[in-house]
Amino acid sequence: MHYGVHPALEHYLGIPGYLITSCILIVGLAIFSYIIYKRYLLLRSARPDLRFDSLLRRFSDLIIYGILQKRQPRYLWIGILHIMIFWGFVVLSLRTITLYGIGLKPGFYLPFMGGSLGEFYHVFKDIFEIIVLFTCIAAVLRRAIARPARYEFKHDKAHKFGAYLVLGLIGFLMLTDITIDASAIVLGGESAYWLPAAHSASYLLHGLGEDTLRVLYRWNYWLHILTIMFFLNYLPLGKHFHIMTAVPNVFLRKLKKGSIKPPRWDVEDIEELDSLGVEKIEDFTWKHVLDFYTCTECGRCSDNCPANTVGRPLSPMEVTIKIRDDAYKRRPLFALKGKGDPGDQSPSLIGNVLEPDEVWSCTTCGACEEECPVFIEYIDKMIDLRRHMVESAMIPKDFQDALMRFEKTGNPFGKPPSKRGDWLEELNDVSVKILQEGDEADVLYFVDSYASFDPQIQQMAMAIVRGLDRARVSFGILGPRESDSAHQVRRLGEEGLFQLLVEANIEAFKTCSFKQIVTTDPHAFNTLKNDYPGDLVVKHYTEFFLPLIESGLLKPVKPLDTADIYTYHDPCYLGRHNGIYDAPRKLLASIPGIRIVEMQRSRDRSFCCGGGDINLWYDIEGEEMRMGEKRVAMAQEAGATAIVSACPFCLLNFDDAIKTSGLEGKMRVIDLMELFVSTL
Amino acid sequence: MDIVVCVKRVPLTEEVDLVIDEQRKGIKKDQLAFVLNDWDNYAIEEAILLKEKHDGTVTAITVGNEDDEEVLRRCLAMGADRAIRIDVDDMGRFDSYGISKILSRVVKDLPFDLVFTGVLADDDYSGMVGMMMAEQLKINHANAVIAIEIEDGKARTTSELEGGLSEVSLIELPALLTIQTGINEPRYVSILGIRKAAKKELKVMDLSDLGISDEELSSRTIIEEVYLPPETEGAQILTGDADKIASDFLEILTKKGVME
Repeated sequence: MHYGVHPALEHYLGIPGYLITSCILIVGLAIFSYIIYKRYLLLRSARPDLRFDSLLRRFSDLIIYGILQKRQPRYLWIGILHIMIFWGFVVLSLRTITLYGIGLKPGFYLPFMGGSLGEFYHVFKDIFEIIVLFTCIAAVLRRAIARPARYEFKHDKAHKFGAYLVLGLIGFLMLTDITIDASAIVLGGESAYWLPAAHSASYLLHGLGEDTLRVLYRWNYWLHILTIMFFLNYLPLGKHFHIMTAVPNVFLRKLKKGSIKPPRWDVEDIEELDSLGVEKIEDFTWKHVLDFYTCTECGRCSDNCPANTVGRPLSPMEVTIKIRDDAYKRRPLFALKGKGDPGDQSPSLIGNVLEPDEVWSCTTCGACEEECPVFIEYIDKMIDLRRHMVESAMIPKDFQDALMRFEKTGNPFGKPPSKRGDWLEELNDVSVKILQEGDEADVLYFVDSYASFDPQIQQMAMAIVRGLDRARVSFGILGPRESDSAHQVRRLGEEGLFQLLVEANIEAFKTCSFKQIVTTDPHAFNTLKNDYPGDLVVKHYTEFFLPLIESGLLKPVKPLDTADIYTYHDPCYLGRHNGIYDAPRKLLASIPGIRIVEMQRSRDRSFCCGGGDINLWYDIEGEEMRMGEKRVAMAQEAGATAIVSACPFCLLNFDDAIKTSGLEGKMRVIDLMELFVSTL
Repeated sequence: MDIVVCVKRVPLTEEVDLVIDEQRKGIKKDQLAFVLNDWDNYAIEEAILLKEKHDGTVTAITVGNEDDEEVLRRCLAMGADRAIRIDVDDMGRFDSYGISKILSRVVKDLPFDLVFTGVLADDDYSGMVGMMMAEQLKINHANAVIAIEIEDGKARTTSELEGGLSEVSLIELPALLTIQTGINEPRYVSILGIRKAAKKELKVMDLSDLGISDEELSSRTIIEEVYLPPETEGAQILTGDADKIASDFLEILTKKGVME
């Protein structure tokens, strides 16, 4: 449909159209290539990363999360709008190529698009144009009127402008293309009701003279292709770079959840490294730099971040944006020679771009990573920043003391290792074997420090050994020969100490034979399974006991002696990091007569209790309330009177929070195993 | 500015139920974890801070066996330039006097402007080695130092006195200062840092090389017996719920005249 308008053959100030199109293409693509090259330079200066394993899984994730955008509807309406725009882009890309084509050669069409397929596509793209147009209008109105809080920035207001500009540009592209079609329809004098957008628009153009219609066609055409070229070059400058990097970023996502990246992917022995962790942006891996490029500023991470919710100085989104802004500022696209040259001049991130407490605020709960539609990683980056802070002695005294106790005694309390099995003395009804060298058992019960030494958590360990004993499981503990699992230590950034404790435990494991390890603590479970070398078979107690109930080996028969309404809280390292949501729920539901409600935030949207990792030892300034208090309030809202947890730290945090919220008598917290064992 | 810091490895005794040994002259140490004496940690940090400000060297010294080298490695990781261990198998042989003799004999041959020791060691709490060393080296000294400033050839030191008082002195160098906790904030040394410090110089000297007679090193103090404090009377354990405990406690305080 051209009706006498051939942009390629027309002359403007004596210059033929095809030459103008060529110039737009050459200049536009040259600038674009240059910008991408500059972005690539930073990527190349970053550290190595391993991201090309498990290709089959990567391709399937690419389809599910990249093309089908499975995570978008976690925020339902705006998620659907985004999918519409995304698919609009996919569909309209063919149209864009075609439009450039007719700017070079009249009557250009893409292969196979000359006949009925082309006509079908035309209808298809027309429908999408109207969808995208209305989606853009809805998105602009939403930003301007509803103003979702997650788009707000603390450190910079300029970012909001970009979103409006891009939505405006997309809308403008739709309008110009619809106008091209509409003026063609009127020029042709025929009805085209099968093109809903163009057909409707054509009514507005009825009565215009042929020349006017041609001018409309012509100028909308040129504006359209110019806008596209501007759009293309604008994208890599800000958050809209994600239009190009999001799909690769999803493909290159981290596959092994729960684990922490090694200090360097290319160096095995950390002693060979001059420094550990991330001091400046080039110390991140190239994938982490790609993360910075890819952030869409949607704010879903921060919206779900428990640290952010309780007023700690951490917003994951702003961490990304601050680092990205700083990197772009220090590596300007166009600079005079010698100026803005990258390299060693990049300053330390801590103190210049980020504050220490921002980094210490993170509980590594993983809510941000679970939410991010484009799979940006935060935990590994936080740990890498901490590693640098530990190695350069930028670490609060509280952590120093805790780490020193870990180093000297293998536990955070500074208790002598010889007393690690002393909790057994209070256990009269069950005899527990302390495995010596050469001993055998089916199950090695890994108690870990809190269940060994903290009087309240010892009750969890006692419930577990009672359960094991009831099910006639052959099991034993390591007692004095067990060291802390070092989950905390690694996540504090003390990699050397982590390795030392891992070595001690591996040595102890080697001296006796067992088929699997069962743990009290989801953190220990996580680190033994995901951080330790080798292929240990590790189960958290919830996972281990469920089959024993299903096979009838353990039968909860006694009804509960309270009228409590229970709610199960998903510990981060059981749920989000390891995908265990159902086993604990089934275990709970097996108790006769139990009344259970679900909190609104549950399963992969569970809200962190405040964290075990480092947060028991350090108070963050600026915190308005404890995360535990927030969570206890959520349980109350759900109508529960008892929170059931499966993690020592959740138990301690909630117990504390119930007291500080004045809810004693109205709410209690109990460990799942303790509750379960009481019904046997 | 060359600084020598004398350090000691001591057992970590918080949280531990100490057991008296068979001879009743000390405690059983085989189950204990050992650390760098807290006061010495501040001393080495202060030396490194001064070095960072005024250049020079920091040497860490300890008397002990191979296991005790661990604290020297920590000092090296913190930033000390070299370390010396005087090889002694049985530290129990020496009292503060003997230790001070050995240390001052070694320090005498080293170039130094300042010698630091901790105010006291966390194990026997005698707090004498520093002063005895100053005496044997015939140099000036100040005790319980909580601030140091170097002013051409002199040190302006602040010492902590009883009752919250401070005493400022201007001391001619060379001098010995015993360092009080809180003078600075000792830096964290990572395990990696300690492992890397293994490459720094650590010299081991034999006691026999020092030319000190056994007579000179013999104990000036005699330990008759070490025992746990006997249980005394007068303690009262309050029972009941928190409210009852609180009101009982308040009653006792009022009765004893602590509160009105």
